[in-house]
Amino acid sequence: MITSLANWLLSLDFLSGLGYWTAWGTSLFVVGTLIFIFIALNALILVYVERKVSAFMQVRLGPMRVGPMGTLQTVADALKLLVKEDIIPALADKLLFRVGPFVILVASVVTFAAIPFSEKLLAADMNIGLFYVVSISSIVVLGIVMSGWASNNKWSLYGAMRSAAQIISYEIPVGITLLAVVAVVGSLNMQTIIHAQAGTGNLFYWIPLPLPNWYIFHNPFLFLATFIYIIGATAEVNRVPFDIPESESELVAGFMTEYSGLRWALFFLSEYANATLIAFITAIVFLGGWQSPFADHRGAQIAVSILTGLAILWTLFIRLKAQRLSIYPLALGIIVTLSAWLFPGFAIWLASPGLFWMLMKVAAIIFLLMWFRWTFPRLRVDQLMYISWKVILPISLINLMGVAIWLWLTGDIQF
Amino acid sequence: MSYFNNIGTAISTLWEGMKVTMGYLVRARDYVTLQYPDEVWPVPSRNIGVGDIDTYNVVRSKLHVNMNDCIGCKQCERACPVDCIKIDTIKGEKGEDLGTTSNGTAIKLLTYNFTIDMTECMYCDLCTFPCPEDCIFMTPDYQFLTADAVKTEITPEERWRDRDHLIYQFATVPQEEVDRRLAAQEAAKAAKLAAAAKAQAAKPNVDIPLKGIDTPAGAPSVAKPETPNDPVPPETGGKTAPEPPEGESHG
Repeated sequence: MITSLANWLLSLDFLSGLGYWTAWGTSLFVVGTLIFIFIALNALILVYVERKVSAFMQVRLGPMRVGPMGTLQTVADALKLLVKEDIIPALADKLLFRVGPFVILVASVVTFAAIPFSEKLLAADMNIGLFYVVSISSIVVLGIVMSGWASNNKWSLYGAMRSAAQIISYEIPVGITLLAVVAVVGSLNMQTIIHAQAGTGNLFYWIPLPLPNWYIFHNPFLFLATFIYIIGATAEVNRVPFDIPESESELVAGFMTEYSGLRWALFFLSEYANATLIAFITAIVFLGGWQSPFADHRGAQIAVSILTGLAILWTLFIRLKAQRLSIYPLALGIIVTLSAWLFPGFAIWLASPGLFWMLMKVAAIIFLLMWFRWTFPRLRVDQLMYISWKVILPISLINLMGVAIWLWLTGDIQF
Repeated sequence: MSYFNNIGTAISTLWEGMKVTMGYLVRARDYVTLQYPDEVWPVPSRNIGVGDIDTYNVVRSKLHVNMNDCIGCKQCERACPVDCIKIDTIKGEKGEDLGTTSNGTAIKLLTYNFTIDMTECMYCDLCTFPCPEDCIFMTPDYQFLTADAVKTEITPEERWRDRDHLIYQFATVPQEEVDRRLAAQEAAKAAKLAAAAKAQAAKPNVDIPLKGIDTPAGAPSVAKPETPNDPVPPETGGKTAPEPPEGESHG
């Protein structure tokens, strides 16, 4: 997108005097701003959604007072954060204290440069996209340690140290898990990975269940790897149940303890940007990115009908157990099914790849993360290390080996 | 082997927990949150069998006075253990009809000040029992806060906070009316005093020489009214003399 924007700027007649580097700089700035706007809006929406989801899971209502159904609550919160006093502790390391949040935010935002939103919509098509994302997102830990150390506060320092230990531990299984997919594709390019997952095929190569060719359904090892990646990535972005760096019941707010106002908002922004990032990577690497789950419009119609039928059966079953249930998902399913059968254009649109499917998958994974967050209790530090080094790492290593053997057996690669 | 059992237990228990939260999520309409200012729980109306439930509700949240029925007897003020009720009354003018209560009692006193300080009230309900007209009663209204409530800092020095918004004035007599009546009362009293003084002044005219000798100032005029029926005549002959005219004025 940066390249095409620069080329387009250069091709315009009235900008013919524009130098090559000016065009490049302008496109970089424009694309970077767009990505930042996406991240900011995304955080605004996700904070609201998270509060609503957590409220519903706890039989509450969540924000209701600002705007209809509380939709403007996060806007009000953001405005409040913007006008809050910016406090820097007297004994803090002033420079590092100021720089820390920006390092974290920049590391979170820059990773989105390699994320393809759709077939055309991506900032930079890198041949090492996956490697770039994994490596850049590790810089976050640098910012966390900076903030924790500079705050000159015992809780902040504990939080930062825990965060460093945790992120370094979980980088390894996450990297190895992604390596298993790279072994299948043979490329680190995001677009190549997504293109390789087009179409539909059998589940696990042999089981005759027509499912999309996504890597989660490619073989049993990658199926397991998906969940390992989600667990490891959750730990990497410090979300509950792996939120020991900012565990609020032990460390006040961990490395964010001394921050307030805008700087604190930057931490929050980067937290949601990171959550979105791992959702994007999971969607791209394991769930086919912007590929549609349906082979063609006939497949879309049938699949939607089956899903709605299952939803109806499930609702009836729940109703038999005398539990009141929200009918909106069911109503949505029925509307989608009817539209898919009545308007073939809609079914064709459903079966075509695009931004919609990417965002749907991302939303589903973010919902999964929220589901984790509001269900699981926080792990102890030693339990965290146990899971990383003794459970996830061996399994991911075995997975990698298993994927290699699988590819050899199915004849996808020759040794 | 316990290693794998451990992992299996972890996965199954986590899945159980996730089922629980998802169950609550899809049943989101079972929430119990009350949107307080918009919707409130109904206050239980409990009748202990005395009187009408609308006027005699034992849910004690706020005192209310029906001033149309108040006769200004001050029995509630006397009953109040914490003295949070303040009543001031004034006699009706001669021949004035101040109305009757719903019990049919004629109101004789104009109650121009009836304040209840709800910051002091302890909701004991003792004021409602002596009321002969059943005009003071507890209501279930518990939402006293007003937007114009003055917020002051709570410090040891500021214990006596501004609480004007919680002192309720029930009397509705206009201030000028009160002033007029009070002025009239004062005037009447002054007139009476003046008349008495005049009478007093008229009386010593008879024996001027004696006044300066044995009764200085106005002291004898106060002592006078008690003496008329005294069978024993005072030692001073001069004092017995003005007795008849005073008795005439009383008559």
